[in-house]
Amino acid sequence: MSSADFSTILPEFLLALYALGALLFGAYAGKDRRASMLLWVTAGLFVALAFWVGVSGHAGRAAFGGLFIDDAFSRFAKVMILISAAVVLVMSEEYMSRRDLLRFEYPILVALGVIGMMVMVSAGDLMTLYMGLELQSLSLYVVASLRRNSIRSTEAGLKYFVLGALSSGLLLYGASLTYGFAGTTLFSGIIAAAGEGTISLGLLFGLVFIAAGLAFKVSAAPFHMWTPDVYEGSPTPVTAFFATAPKVAAMSLFARVLHDAFGGVVSDWQQVIAVLSVASMFLGAVAAIGQRDIKRLMAYSSINHMGFALMGLAAGTAFGVQAMLIYLAIYVTMNIGTFAFILGMEKDGKPVVEIDALNLYARNEPTRALAMLVLMFSMAGVPPLVGFFAKYYVLTAAVGADLGWLAVLGVVASAIAAYYYLRIVYLMYFGTESDALDSTSQPVLWGVLMVSALIMVVGVVNLFGIEGPAAAAASALVE
Amino acid sequence: MSLILIVLAPFLGALLPAVMANAGRRTCALTTLTVSAVALVGLVSRVPEVLAGDMPVAQVEWMPELGLNFTLMLDGLGLFFAALILGIGCLVIIYARYYLSRDDNMGEFFTYLLLFQGAMLGIVLSDNILVLLVFWELTSLSSFLLIGYWKHLPDGRQGARMALTVTGMGGLAMIGGMLILGRIAGSYDLSVILENREAIQASPLYLPALLLILLGCFTKSAQFPFHFWLPHAMAAPTPVSAYLHSATMVKAGIFLMARLWPVLSGTEVWFYLVAGTGLVTMVIGAVVALFKDDLKALLAFSTVSQLGLITFLLGTGSAYAAVAAVFHILNHAIFKCALFMTAGIVDHEAGTRDIRRLGGLWRLMPVTFAIALISGLSLAGVPLFNGFPSKEMMLEEATHVTFFGPEWLVPALATVGALFSAAYSFRLIGHAFLGAKRDDYPAKPHDPGIGMWGPPALLCVLVLVIGILPWLAQPAVFFVAQSVLGTTADIPEGLYLKLWPGITEALMMSAISLAGGLVVLLLFRPAAWLWTAAHVPHAKSIFDGIVAGAVALSRGLTQPLHDGAFTRYAMIFAVAVAALSGHAWLTGEVGPPTREPLPMNEVAVAGWLMLVTATAAIVVFHRNRLFALILMGIVGLMVSIGFALFSAPDLAMTQISVEVVTIILLLLALNFLPDETPRESSGLRRLRDGTVAVVGGLMAAGLSYHLLLRDFVEPSISAYQLENSYKGGGGTNVVNVILVDFRGFDTFGEIIVLGIAAVVIYALTEALLSGPVRAKLLNRRPEKDLAGDMHPLMMVVLTRVIMPLVLMVGVYIFLRGHNMPGGGFIAGLIVAIGLVMQYMASGYYWAADRQRYPFHGIIGAGVLVAGITGIGAWFAGYPFLTSSYGYITIPPLEEFEWASAMGFDLGVFLAVVGAVMLSLESFARMARRRDQKDSEHAMDIDPSRKETT
Repeated sequence: MSSADFSTILPEFLLALYALGALLFGAYAGKDRRASMLLWVTAGLFVALAFWVGVSGHAGRAAFGGLFIDDAFSRFAKVMILISAAVVLVMSEEYMSRRDLLRFEYPILVALGVIGMMVMVSAGDLMTLYMGLELQSLSLYVVASLRRNSIRSTEAGLKYFVLGALSSGLLLYGASLTYGFAGTTLFSGIIAAAGEGTISLGLLFGLVFIAAGLAFKVSAAPFHMWTPDVYEGSPTPVTAFFATAPKVAAMSLFARVLHDAFGGVVSDWQQVIAVLSVASMFLGAVAAIGQRDIKRLMAYSSINHMGFALMGLAAGTAFGVQAMLIYLAIYVTMNIGTFAFILGMEKDGKPVVEIDALNLYARNEPTRALAMLVLMFSMAGVPPLVGFFAKYYVLTAAVGADLGWLAVLGVVASAIAAYYYLRIVYLMYFGTESDALDSTSQPVLWGVLMVSALIMVVGVVNLFGIEGPAAAAASALVE
Repeated sequence: MSLILIVLAPFLGALLPAVMANAGRRTCALTTLTVSAVALVGLVSRVPEVLAGDMPVAQVEWMPELGLNFTLMLDGLGLFFAALILGIGCLVIIYARYYLSRDDNMGEFFTYLLLFQGAMLGIVLSDNILVLLVFWELTSLSSFLLIGYWKHLPDGRQGARMALTVTGMGGLAMIGGMLILGRIAGSYDLSVILENREAIQASPLYLPALLLILLGCFTKSAQFPFHFWLPHAMAAPTPVSAYLHSATMVKAGIFLMARLWPVLSGTEVWFYLVAGTGLVTMVIGAVVALFKDDLKALLAFSTVSQLGLITFLLGTGSAYAAVAAVFHILNHAIFKCALFMTAGIVDHEAGTRDIRRLGGLWRLMPVTFAIALISGLSLAGVPLFNGFPSKEMMLEEATHVTFFGPEWLVPALATVGALFSAAYSFRLIGHAFLGAKRDDYPAKPHDPGIGMWGPPALLCVLVLVIGILPWLAQPAVFFVAQSVLGTTADIPEGLYLKLWPGITEALMMSAISLAGGLVVLLLFRPAAWLWTAAHVPHAKSIFDGIVAGAVALSRGLTQPLHDGAFTRYAMIFAVAVAALSGHAWLTGEVGPPTREPLPMNEVAVAGWLMLVTATAAIVVFHRNRLFALILMGIVGLMVSIGFALFSAPDLAMTQISVEVVTIILLLLALNFLPDETPRESSGLRRLRDGTVAVVGGLMAAGLSYHLLLRDFVEPSISAYQLENSYKGGGGTNVVNVILVDFRGFDTFGEIIVLGIAAVVIYALTEALLSGPVRAKLLNRRPEKDLAGDMHPLMMVVLTRVIMPLVLMVGVYIFLRGHNMPGGGFIAGLIVAIGLVMQYMASGYYWAADRQRYPFHGIIGAGVLVAGITGIGAWFAGYPFLTSSYGYITIPPLEEFEWASAMGFDLGVFLAVVGAVMLSLESFARMARRRDQKDSEHAMDIDPSRKETT
C-alpha cells in the first residue's frame, strides 16, 4: 500500500475507523444512552466528509492498481450518499427515541452501510464491487429488522436477506463468468477483453447476471419483490434511508459497471436495461394505485422512479449518465422531504401510515400540506417544479439515443403514476371528514420538509447549478 | 412593453391582492384590475408591429443545454388569444368584485386568478414548446386552486379532483409528444418546428407525437371522452367559470391545436381523430346539456359542445374551416362569458340556479333578461347574433366533409348538434326567464347593480355588432386565421364574413336546426322523461367507476404478485433470471465448440446416475428429514468423487471433510425438529414450482455444458497459476499455494471470519441458554423413544483406537500440503472430525472434561500464528504475507524444504479446528434435555467399572 493509495481512500478509511471506534465506545461507555450523541456525531461526520469529498478537485485517480477509483463520478455520488444519509439520520432521532428504537448500533450500522456505498461507487474491479455491495447489504439487512419485537420487521429483514443472498449469488456467478472469459476482474481489463461490438456468450451471461444482481439492489422490476415488504416492515426512518442513499449507490454502481467494464458493447445491455426500466416504471405506477399504506406506496413510487433513472442509463451515452445522476439527486431530495412529512404523521403519539388519515390535512396544517403538495407535484413530474426537469432530462436522453419508444412509454407511465401523487394532494385538500392527525412540532422534520419543498420551487431557476458537476461526473465515466 | 414583462405582470401582480387583502375590497379589486389593464396596455402597444408583419420575440436563456430557453413571441394567433385573455379578464375582475360576498377571502381569490391569467398568457405567447408546457401545467395548478376555492362544497372537491386528475395526466402525456416533436424538428422553438411540416409528417414518430399531444389538448379542452371533468368543475365561483369557459383554460387545448395546425394537420389520422372527436363531442355535449337543470351545468355542457364544434373545424384541415374556427373562438368567448355572468347574477339574486325552480324572471329582472336573451339567441345560432355566421360556416364546411363513405353522415350529425344547441339555448331562455312569475323563489329576484350587469352588457353589444355587421370583424379574423395557416395555405379567395350567405344547404340545415330546437323544447317533458328512463350513465359515476376499476386492477395485480410468500418472490426471481438468460442466449454469439468432451467411462456414468438419482430422491422424499440428510450425503460424496475424477484431489478432500462436518451439524439440528416436514402446498402448486425448478435447472445445466465445451480466456488463468506456483510459491500443489501464498490475504481474512462466525454461534447459544428458551429446550420431548444405549461400548472403543490414527493422518496431510494434495484447511477438518467423534461416542461431559484448551483460544492462536507469519515478511523487507522458502538439511534426515507458508498454514489449521469444534460444541449444549442424566462415564456398560450403589 503506497501513500498515494492511502490518501485516495482516506475518506472511507476515516469513516471506517470512526465506525469501529464508535462501536467500541458505544459498547463500553453506556450503550444506548449514547445513541443520540453518536447519531449526531455520525451525521456531522457525514456532512464533513461530503464537504471534503465534494471540494477536492482531483482529476481521476486510482488506488491499489485500479481496484478503487476516485473520479468526478464517484465524488458526485458520494456527496449525494453522504448528505442524504446525514439528513435521514438527523430526521430519525426523535422518531426512534420516542419508540425506544434508538440503539447505539443504529448510527454505526448506517455508517458501515455508507462505507459500503462509497466503496461501491468507487469500485474499479469486480472484487471491490462485491465487497462494497456486501458491506452495504449486510448493514441494511440488520437495520431493516431493527424493530426486533415486531414480526413484520423481522420477517421483512429475513426476506430481504434471503432474496439478497440469492441475488448476490447470481451476481457472483456473473462475476466469475466474466472473470473466466475476460481473464481479469479489473474493469479496465474487462473492457479491453470485451472489445467493441459484440461479446462472447460467456461474457454476455456474466454481464446479464451481474445486471440482474444489481437490478435487485436498485429494486428494478421484476427484481423488486422485496421492496414493498421491507419498506412497510422497517421503522419509517429506516425506510427513508432505504429509499435514498442505497438507491444512489446501487444506481451509480450499475452505471459504473456498465460503462467502465462493458462500455464497448452498449448494444448488448441497452435492451435489457430498457426492459427493466419499462417494467419498473409501469409496475411502480400501476401497483401504487391500489395502496392504502403510504410506506408501501412510497415503495412502488421508488420502483417507478428507479425505472426512470434506468432510462437515463439505458441511453448508453454520457448525457444519459448525466441525466441519471441529476434524476437521482432530485429524486433523493424529493424523497427526503416526503419522508420528513411521513415521519411527522401520527395520531395520539402513534405513527400513522394510512393514506386515508390525510383527509383534510390542509385544514389543520396548511403550511405542511402546501409543502407536501409541492413535493407530490414534483414527484409526479408536473412542470415547472424541479421533478419535471428530472423526468425531462432522462426523457431527452432516451430520445437522443433513438429510444423514442422508451420515452413514450415513460411518459405514459408517468401519467399513470401522477394519479396517486395527485390523490394524496386531493385528500389533503378536499378529502372527507375524518379524525385529524396530531399536529406535530418537530423542528427538524419541519425544517427538512420546508427546505425540500423550497428546493423544488427555487431550483427551477437553474437546478442549483447541479448540471455542471453532473456533466463532469458523466464525462469522467463515459469517455 | 417587453413581452416578458407582459407575461410576468400577472405573476408579479399576483402578490398584490394577497398583500392588499386587508386594505378593503375595492382596493383589492382595483389593484387586480390595474395589473390586468397594464398587461393589456402593454400588449396593445405591440400591436402595430404585429400588424406590420413583424414578429416580436423576447428571449432569456434558461437551461440552454436542454434546449430550454425562455422565449416568447407575438404573432397574430398569440395576439388574438392574449387580447381575449386580458380583455375578458378585466371584465371578469370587475364582475367578481361585486359577485363575491363579504365572507369570501378576496385577496386569495384574486391572487389565484392573476396566477391563472399569467399562466394562460404564457401559453399563448410561448415560442419554446417546453416553456409552453410549463405554463400549460401552471394553468392546471392554478385552475385547481381556483376551482377548489370554495372548499366547503362537496361538489367542488369532486370537481377539483377530476379536473386535476384528467388535465394533469393529459399534460404529462403531452410532455412526451412535445419532446418527440422537438426531436424531429431539431429544435424546441415553435418558429423552427412550424417550418418543418414535411419532416415531421414523414417521421415514423409522427403518430406517437400526435397522439400524445392530442391527448393533452383533448383533456384540456374537455373533448370526448374526457369531457366529464369540465361540468363538474362548476362548483367554482361563477366568475371563475365565466373566465375558464370563455377565454381561457379550455381554450388552451384549442389554441395548441391551432398553433400546431400547420405541422400536424392534413394527415388522415389528424382528420379522423380531431374532426371525429370534435363532431362526437359536439353532439353528445349538446344532448346532455339540454337535460341539465342546473344553469351552470347546462352552460358547461354547452361549452363542451361548442368546443367540439371548433375542434371539428380544426380537424377538417381546410383553410376555410380554419377561418371559421378562429371566428367561432371569438364569438364563443364573447357570448359564453356573458351567459355565465348572467347565470351568476340569477344565482346571486334569485338564490338558485335550478331551472325547475326558476321561470318568469323576465318581469323581475328585465336587464338580466335582456342580456340573457341576446347572448342566448347567439348561442342558439339565430341570425343577427354573432353565433350565427360562424355556425353557418361550420355547417357549410360539414357539407363538404365525408366520413367513411356516406355523404349525409357529417351534415346530419352537424345538424343534430346544432339542433340540440338551439334547443338548450331556448330552454335556458324559456324555462328560466319566460313563463309565469312564481312565488317560491328562494330569494327575492331583482336586477343587480351596474357592477354586475355592466360587463355582460358590454359583451352583448359586441354580440350584436358582430352579429349584424360581421364584416367589421373580418380583417382581424382573417389576420389571425392567416397566422394559424402559416405558410401552408392561404385564406380562400372570395371569402367574406357576411350576415346573409344566400340560400345554401347550410342555411337549410340552420333553419332545420332552429325549428327543430323549438320543437324539442315544446316536447321537453316527454323527452326529459325518456332521458331519465334511459339511465344514461352519469359522467361522474363513469369516472368513479374508472377509478374504482383502476384501483381494483392495481390490487388484482399487486396482491397475487406481492402476497408476502417468499416462495412467490423466489419464483418470480427465478423466472426473471430465466427470461434474461433466454434473451442473452438468443442475442449472444454462439461460437463452435473448441473443446472435445471427455470420453464417457463406467465410473463417470455410474457417479452421474447416482448424483441424479439422489437429487431426484431428495425432491421426492424431502419430507422425511433424516432420509433427506442421507441422500444429501450421497450427493456430497458424488461431488467429491467428481472432483477427484477431474484431477482436483484437493477440492475432493476439502469437499469430503466439509461434507462430514456439515452433515454432523445438520444431524444436531435435526434433533430439534420433527421427523417429517408438514405438507404445505397443493399438488398443483408443487407441479408449478417443480416446473419452474426443472426449467431453471436445465437452463443452468445447458449453460454450463455450453461453456465447458469452449475455451475460456487466452492465456487462461489456470495456466498462469500452474506456471508460477513452484517458481513463486515454492510448492507444486497449486491449490495450496493459491490459498496460502497467491491469495494469502484472502485466506487470512477467511480464517478470521470463520473464527468470528464460531464465536458468534457461541455467543448466541450463550444468550439463548440464559434466556427463557432454556426451560423450553430442557423440557422438550422427542417424538420417538430413545434408542436406549447412548454411548455404546463398541463405538467408544473404536473412536479411541482411531483417534491417534486420525491425528497422524491430520499431521501427514498438513505436512504434505505444500506439494501434494492436503494442507492446513483439510488437516484441520480431519482433526476436528476425530475430536467430534469423541464427543459423539463418549458423551459431551466426558469429552469436555478432557479438553485442556478452550476452543476460543485455539481460534485466536490460529489467527495470531497466521498473522505473525505474515508480519515476518516485513522484517525481510517484503509486503505483508510474502512467502519465502528454502532448503535445510537436518543431519540424520535428508534435505528438507521449508516454506514460510507453512507457519501460515498452521494458523489456518488451528483456526479451522477451533471454529468447527466451538460451533459444534455450542449446538451440543443446546441439545441437552432434563430427562437425560449427564452420564459421568464414557460407556453405558463398562465391564471394567465397579458399580457402586
